[in-house]
Amino acid sequence: MNRALTLRFTTALATATALAATATACGSSGPGASGGGSGKVTVWALQDTALNPVQRKTVSTFNASSGDTKAAIQFFVNDPYKQKLQTALGSPNAPDVFLNWGGGNLTTYVKSGNVADLGTDLDASFKNEFLPSVMAGGTIDGKTYGVPMEGVQPVALFYNKDVFAKAGITQPPATWPDLLHDIDRMKARHITPIALAGSQAWTELMWLEYLLDRVGGPQVFVGIQAGKPGAWQDPAVTTALTMIRDLVDRGAFGTNYGSVGQDSGGADALLSKGRAGMELMGSWEYAGQLATAPDFVKKGKLGWTTFPTVPNGKGDAKNIVGNPCNFFSVTAKSKNRAAAVDFITKTVTEPSYVKNLIDIGQVPAIAGIEDQLKSGPNADYTTFVYGLVEHAPNFTQSWDQALAPATAQKLLTELQKVFNKQASPQQFVSAMDAE
Amino acid sequence: MNTALRRSDGRPGALWAVPALLYFALFAVVPMALVVVLSFCRWNGLGSPHWAGTANWTRLLHDPDLGQSLRLSLLLTVVNWAVQTLICLPLGVWCAGHQRARAVLSTLFFVPLLMSSAAVALLFAALLDPNFGLAHAIGPWLGVDDGNFIGDPHLALWTVTAVVTWQFVPFHTLLYQAAARQVPAQLYEAATIDGAGRWRQFLSVTLPQLRHTVVTSSVLMLVGSLTYFDIVLILTNGGPGTSTRILPLHMYLTGFSSFDMGYAGVLAVLLLVAGTTLSLLVVRVTGFRRMTSRREGL
Amino acid sequence: MSAKTLATTGRTAGTGSRGGPRAAAPRPRPGLVRRPGRPHRRPCRRPDWLGGLGAAAWLVIVAVPLYYVLASSLREKSDYLDAGPLSVPHHVVLSNYRTVLDSGFADYLWNSVLVTAATVALVLALALPAAYAIVRSRSRFVTAGFSVMLMGLAIPAQATIVPVYLLITRLHAYDTLTAIVLPTAAFSLPMAILVLTSTMRDIPGELYEAMTVDGANATQVLRSLVLPLTRPGLVTVGIYTALGAWNGFIFPLVLTQSEAHRTVTLGLWNYQGQQGGIDVPATMAAVVLSLLPLLAAYLVGRRHLLSGLTAGFGK
Repeated sequence: MNRALTLRFTTALATATALAATATACGSSGPGASGGGSGKVTVWALQDTALNPVQRKTVSTFNASSGDTKAAIQFFVNDPYKQKLQTALGSPNAPDVFLNWGGGNLTTYVKSGNVADLGTDLDASFKNEFLPSVMAGGTIDGKTYGVPMEGVQPVALFYNKDVFAKAGITQPPATWPDLLHDIDRMKARHITPIALAGSQAWTELMWLEYLLDRVGGPQVFVGIQAGKPGAWQDPAVTTALTMIRDLVDRGAFGTNYGSVGQDSGGADALLSKGRAGMELMGSWEYAGQLATAPDFVKKGKLGWTTFPTVPNGKGDAKNIVGNPCNFFSVTAKSKNRAAAVDFITKTVTEPSYVKNLIDIGQVPAIAGIEDQLKSGPNADYTTFVYGLVEHAPNFTQSWDQALAPATAQKLLTELQKVFNKQASPQQFVSAMDAE
Repeated sequence: MNTALRRSDGRPGALWAVPALLYFALFAVVPMALVVVLSFCRWNGLGSPHWAGTANWTRLLHDPDLGQSLRLSLLLTVVNWAVQTLICLPLGVWCAGHQRARAVLSTLFFVPLLMSSAAVALLFAALLDPNFGLAHAIGPWLGVDDGNFIGDPHLALWTVTAVVTWQFVPFHTLLYQAAARQVPAQLYEAATIDGAGRWRQFLSVTLPQLRHTVVTSSVLMLVGSLTYFDIVLILTNGGPGTSTRILPLHMYLTGFSSFDMGYAGVLAVLLLVAGTTLSLLVVRVTGFRRMTSRREGL
Repeated sequence: MSAKTLATTGRTAGTGSRGGPRAAAPRPRPGLVRRPGRPHRRPCRRPDWLGGLGAAAWLVIVAVPLYYVLASSLREKSDYLDAGPLSVPHHVVLSNYRTVLDSGFADYLWNSVLVTAATVALVLALALPAAYAIVRSRSRFVTAGFSVMLMGLAIPAQATIVPVYLLITRLHAYDTLTAIVLPTAAFSLPMAILVLTSTMRDIPGELYEAMTVDGANATQVLRSLVLPLTRPGLVTVGIYTALGAWNGFIFPLVLTQSEAHRTVTLGLWNYQGQQGGIDVPATMAAVVLSLLPLLAAYLVGRRHLLSGLTAGFGK
C-alpha cells in the first residue's frame, strides 16, 4: 500500500466513523445492553446500610416462592443513581422496577413516557393498604405510577434534652416566639442554638419549606411547582426568607455552619455531643443517631417535636414537609411487566418485610399499624412519626425532589447565598423568578 | 503493505502511526465533534435529543453563572500556578542536595501524589470540619477563629487552592529536584570563586539552568488546571452559593444535576476551545512540534 | 555498541549552543551507576538555614494531614469525636479497616489495578510505534496526525463525556472495565506521544545512520536502538498514564453502574452521601487503603522514577 493510498484509506475510515456516530447522536440514545423477557426482574434501589439487608432478605424470600420469576436487586448511591436513572430509562439498559421519590421527581419520568400506569395491575384492596397522604405521592393525574416501598420521611425538629435543661428550657418550642426566646437563652450559655450542615444546601431548604408552609400555607408552593408566573413573588416567600435571615443574624446557627457537612456527620455530632441544642432534619435522624451515638438515644437525651407554629400564619400547624416516601415504579418498556408487578405486590406489604422495617427504626407507610409500632422497638419515636403523617392535612414533598432538576439546582444555590448573607430575600426572589 | 512496513532506508512507514491516530480519532476526536452537535440539541437524558437550533447558544449570553465560573477558573489556574511554582522550585532545589536527611524527607514529600483526588478531597472534607476536624485548631493561626474555611464565600476558593496545591506540589517538586541535580557543578564552583553567596548562586546559576523545567512544569500545571473538578465536586460541590463553581464543574452540574445536556454541551464546547487554545499556546511556546532535538535549546 | 560509546556520542551531540553544557543523552540504565564525570550539585558546606526552614514548614504541611488520616483510621468512632484530631488514639483499633474491607473495598482496588494496568499497556502499545513513525518517517500524513494529537494535549476529558457515553453504549461496552479503559487511554495518548517523540528525537541521528548502513530495517532499529534509549521516556509515560487512570473519576462514574465494576475513586465517593452521616474513621481507613497499592509500586520503582520523570520534558 503506498503512502497516498494509506492516507486516503485512513481518511475514509475516520470520516465513516464520524458520520456513523453523528447519525446516532441526535437520534436515539442509550445503551444496547441485555434485553429482558427472561422472567428475571431487575430492581434498582438506593444504597442504605440499614435497609439493604432487609431488602436482600425479602428478595430471596420472593425468589424462593415465585417459580420461574427471579428478582435481582442492585443498589446505588444517591447522586450517581439519579444520573444513571436519567440515562438508562427508556433505553434497553433500563431496570424493570426502579426506586424514585414520587411527586415531582416521578412526574418527570412519567412525562417522558417511561413509566407504566399500574392502575389496572393493582387491585383496590392493595392500594388501600397504604396511608392516603403517602399514596398520593405515587399518583399523578389520578393514575397510579408508584407504590410506597419503605418508611415515611417527614422532617421534624430534634433537640438535646440535656442542653435544654442546662439553658433552663423546660418545654420544646411550640411557637416561633418561643423558638427565638430559646435561641437567645442558649446563646447566652455559649451553645450553638441550632446545628446546621450549611455546606449542603438541602439541609437549609428544610427551614424554608416549613416556614413558607406555616406563613402562607401549602398553596404557595403548589403555585411554584406548577410554574405559575410570579409564584416566587408571593409575599409569604419574602416573609419566610426574612425570618431565616433573622435567625442567621441572631446567630441561631453559630458562625461556621457553612463548613459543616451532613454527609460527614458534622451536624448530627454537634447535637449528640451537646454542642448544639436543636436540629431540623428528616425522620432518619433517629436511626442515624442510634447508629453513631447509641448512648445519647438510649439514655433518652434525644428529643423531638413538630415544627413551631407562626403567629398569624395561614398554614395548618399539623402540615408537614419532607419525603412522603420512596416508591417503586415499573418502566414502561419492561418486558417483564407481569413479573415486575408481581414482585411489588408480594414484597412491599408483606408482613415480615413490614416488621423488619419497623425493627430498623423505619415507619412503613401502611395504614393501621399503630399497635404494631407500639409493641416494636423505639415505640415512642415511631408512633410520633406515624402520627405526624397520619394526621397531616398536607404533606409537601421536599422541594428539591418536587421541582424540575434545573430549578432545584438553582434554588439550592440561591438559598445558600441567603444563608451566607451573600443575597437578600429580594435578590433570591428575583433570581428564582428569572428561572 | 510490505513496502510500507519495511523500507530500504530503515525508516518506519506511515502505517506505524495509524493505529494510534485511528484510536484517537474514534475515542477523542469523534466525541469532540459530537459535543458540538449536542450543543445544538435539547436533551435531558430521557428519551431522544431534539434539534434546538441555536437556543442553547443564545442562553450563553444570559447565564448569570458563566462569567463567575470563567473568572473562578482563571483565578484558580493563575493562583495555583503562582503558588505552586513559588513553593516547588525552591523546595525541589533544596531536595536535590545529597544529604541523607533530604533524601528521606523527599520520600515523605512525595506521598500526597499517590493519593487520588477523591481520597484527597475526602481527607480534607473531614479535616476541614470546623467543630471536629482540624479547622478549629488551625483557624486561629490564620485569623479564622471559627474554622469556617469552606463555608465562607470569600475563603472557599482559597481553601480549594490550598488543597489542590497540597496534592500537586510533590509532583512538580520532583521535576525540579531531578532538574536541579543535572546542573553542572562547575558552574557553582565558578560562581563561588567569583565570591557569589548562596542567594546569588541561586539567582544566577540555578534559575537560568532550570528555565526549561519551569516551562515544562508550568505547561503541566496549565494542562491540569482544566481537568480537576472531582476534588471541587467532593469538597464543596461548587458552593457556598457559586463561590467555587469553576467551569468544568459548571458543565458537569449543568449536565448531571440539572440534566440540561444541551446547555452542558455548549459549556463543553467552551472547555474544548479553552483546551485547544491552551494546547496551541503550549506547543508554540515550547516548540514541541519541532522535528529536531529539543536539547538544542529553545 | 556499548553504553559507553553511546554516552560519548550523545554528549558531543547534545552540547547545545545556548543551553550551556547539559547532561548527556539518556543513559541506558538510569539510576544504577553514576557515569564518570556526570555533573551534579556539590553540597555546600555551610548549613542552608533558609532552605531548611522552608522544607521544615512544608514537612509540617504534608505530615499533619497524613498523620491525621492514619490516626483517625485507627480510632474508635466515639474517640474520634471526643478526642482532639491530633491526639494519639486511645486504643488503636483495626476494626475500621475490617469494616471497609467487608464492604467490598478490596474488589474496588483490584478493579482499579486492572483498569490502570490495561490503560498503561494500551497507551504504550499505541504510542510507541506512533512516536517512532513521527520522529523517523518522512510522511506528511504522520506529521499532520501529530499536530491533531497535540491539539488534544490540554483537552479536559469530561467535556466529551456525553458522546463518549453514547459511543461506549453503541460498542456494547457499557458497565464493563473496558468502558473505562478505552476513553481513558485515548485522552492519555497526546501526552504519551509527546514525551516519547521528545525522547526519541534526543537520539543522535548518526546512531540511526550507523544502523541503517548495516542494512537494518525499521523494526530492527526500533528493537535494538530506540527501545533501550527510550526507556526513561517509557517510564515517564507509564507513570503519567498510571496516575491518570488510577485517579479517573468521571469515566467510571458515567460508564459503569454495577458494584462489580466499581473502582476505588467511586468506592471512596460512596462514603459520602450515605444517609445518616458517614463514619469518618472508616472513611479515613478507606483513604489509607486506596493509597497502599501506589505506595507499594512507588517503593519498588522509586529508582526509575527520578530518572524517568524528566525524560522527554527537557532538563
